[in-house]
Amino acid sequence: MKRFWASLLIALSATIFMMWQGGAFAEKAADQVPADVNKDQKTDTATPAMMPTIAIDKTTLDNGGTITVTGTAPAGKPVYLEVWSADVVRASRFDADVDKETGKRPYILYMTENMPAYYKIFAPKDKKEILEGIKKEGKNWSYSKALKDIGADISYSVPAKAKIDRYQATLIGSIIGSRGDLLPQMDDKENKKRSMQLVKARFRSVDKVIGADVDVNPDGTYKASVKIREGLAPGKYSIVAVVDKGVKSQPVTFENNIHFPNIYLSNAGTSLNLVWPFLLTLAISIFGVLMGAGGGFILNPLLVSWWPLPHTVVAGTVMPTVLFSQGSGIYNYSKIKFINWKLGITIGMGMVVGGFIGPKLTELITLDQYKFVFGWILIILAALMFWQTTPAYLSKNKKEQAILKEFRKKAEESAKAKG
Amino acid sequence: MIVEFWGHEFKVNTVFGVIGGFLIAVVSSMFGFGGGPFMTPLMAVGLGLPMYIVVGSSLLAIFFNTLMGTMRHYQFGNFDLTFFLIMFPAAILGGFIAPQIAKRISPITVKRVAVVGLLILALNLLGLY
Repeated sequence: MKRFWASLLIALSATIFMMWQGGAFAEKAADQVPADVNKDQKTDTATPAMMPTIAIDKTTLDNGGTITVTGTAPAGKPVYLEVWSADVVRASRFDADVDKETGKRPYILYMTENMPAYYKIFAPKDKKEILEGIKKEGKNWSYSKALKDIGADISYSVPAKAKIDRYQATLIGSIIGSRGDLLPQMDDKENKKRSMQLVKARFRSVDKVIGADVDVNPDGTYKASVKIREGLAPGKYSIVAVVDKGVKSQPVTFENNIHFPNIYLSNAGTSLNLVWPFLLTLAISIFGVLMGAGGGFILNPLLVSWWPLPHTVVAGTVMPTVLFSQGSGIYNYSKIKFINWKLGITIGMGMVVGGFIGPKLTELITLDQYKFVFGWILIILAALMFWQTTPAYLSKNKKEQAILKEFRKKAEESAKAKG
Repeated sequence: MIVEFWGHEFKVNTVFGVIGGFLIAVVSSMFGFGGGPFMTPLMAVGLGLPMYIVVGSSLLAIFFNTLMGTMRHYQFGNFDLTFFLIMFPAAILGGFIAPQIAKRISPITVKRVAVVGLLILALNLLGLY
């Protein structure tokens, strides 16, 4: 028995060492909120007469709503409205596409902590057709191309200023669970280009980042209904009107309020009514216990499909919920000496290394890849479950369960006798 | 490796068990589910161990993965506390309600329903409908 305790000790200390190495105990860097991202907007070269004016009809919203934006711009100029939230979230993208020039795959992870939780550019109404064309491109649409086609690239500014970190991922780095080497800071132009890819990675669909809702009259006055969806970040939002490169209005701001039972998940950048995820988790965890598989198999795909939650947050938050039930299960089994520590710890050593690597890989895949692989995992699981309902398995299992029961009874009795 | 359990000795293929456990752990921590349904067949069929040794020991092995996976997800900033506080009570409550229901329905029926449900969900995820 002594040897088992020694191996348990080694396993635990190895675990703690690896966590210390990975910096799990280090505090997460506090989110840097850019207090005033658009500070430099005031340094416009245009004369005041050319600068558009902007006004909004209300300054507060309750979990979304519609704001009417009005103003005047120089006659004959298109007006773009850039709208963003002060609240920021993380966005990341793993670049493993073949480089057109060198023919190599770069394997670089781009990541920023300062992506606005909401970001959308509203273009003049006459761009609607171009926008519809972009939507038809499906999943492989390009944000930078869309901005250019619509002419909205002149108004793209806030995400361009978010500081983006680049990590050179390597195979060995992934194995030891590191993000890779931090590459030098990009210049502004490159940062802007990469930020556009991150906008797409974060918001995914065209509708969420570009709209064609601004009515521009020939005399230069404009009017737009800016619709803010439900389920967005609370706090301050800003709007500026842009007519040309560097020619923009002063920002106007409004406040979006979220009330209980709607709550904001700051890491996911989404507000939701807490009742629904609660009921969903309850139903699925009951079903999970009944079918003998953890609820995560069904819960995770539903969460990423029904709410705009990043798959990294879903995986990282669902996993800890089973810690408690697993821990109490181990405690109950250990009380009746129903755990073979040597076997459990030996295989556990393999699993602890796997658990070290897995979460690193989550951020390297896109949501679509996550769903695709999860689909295949569920097919394997369904096959396993089907096999467990076949007559051959059942008759074998009956015997096994009888022995299990008998052993368990013995174990419980001897535990009682000792206690 | 020889494992002794309640007076019986079993020969265990350590290499197979550890590598299998490793692979299951990578996938399960990457996608955020417990590896139980895969671990049990690995130990019961792959290693040829009887059920009564598998139930407790597989749980212990998986616990290592869940603990490490949780730490790493937290470290990478994937953990959302508010979201956790919504789901955690529901998961605990489910654990108390489920045994009450389990007495009344046959586990085979549940599994058959699960097979159909999982396939529908899988086809949806694969974008086939």
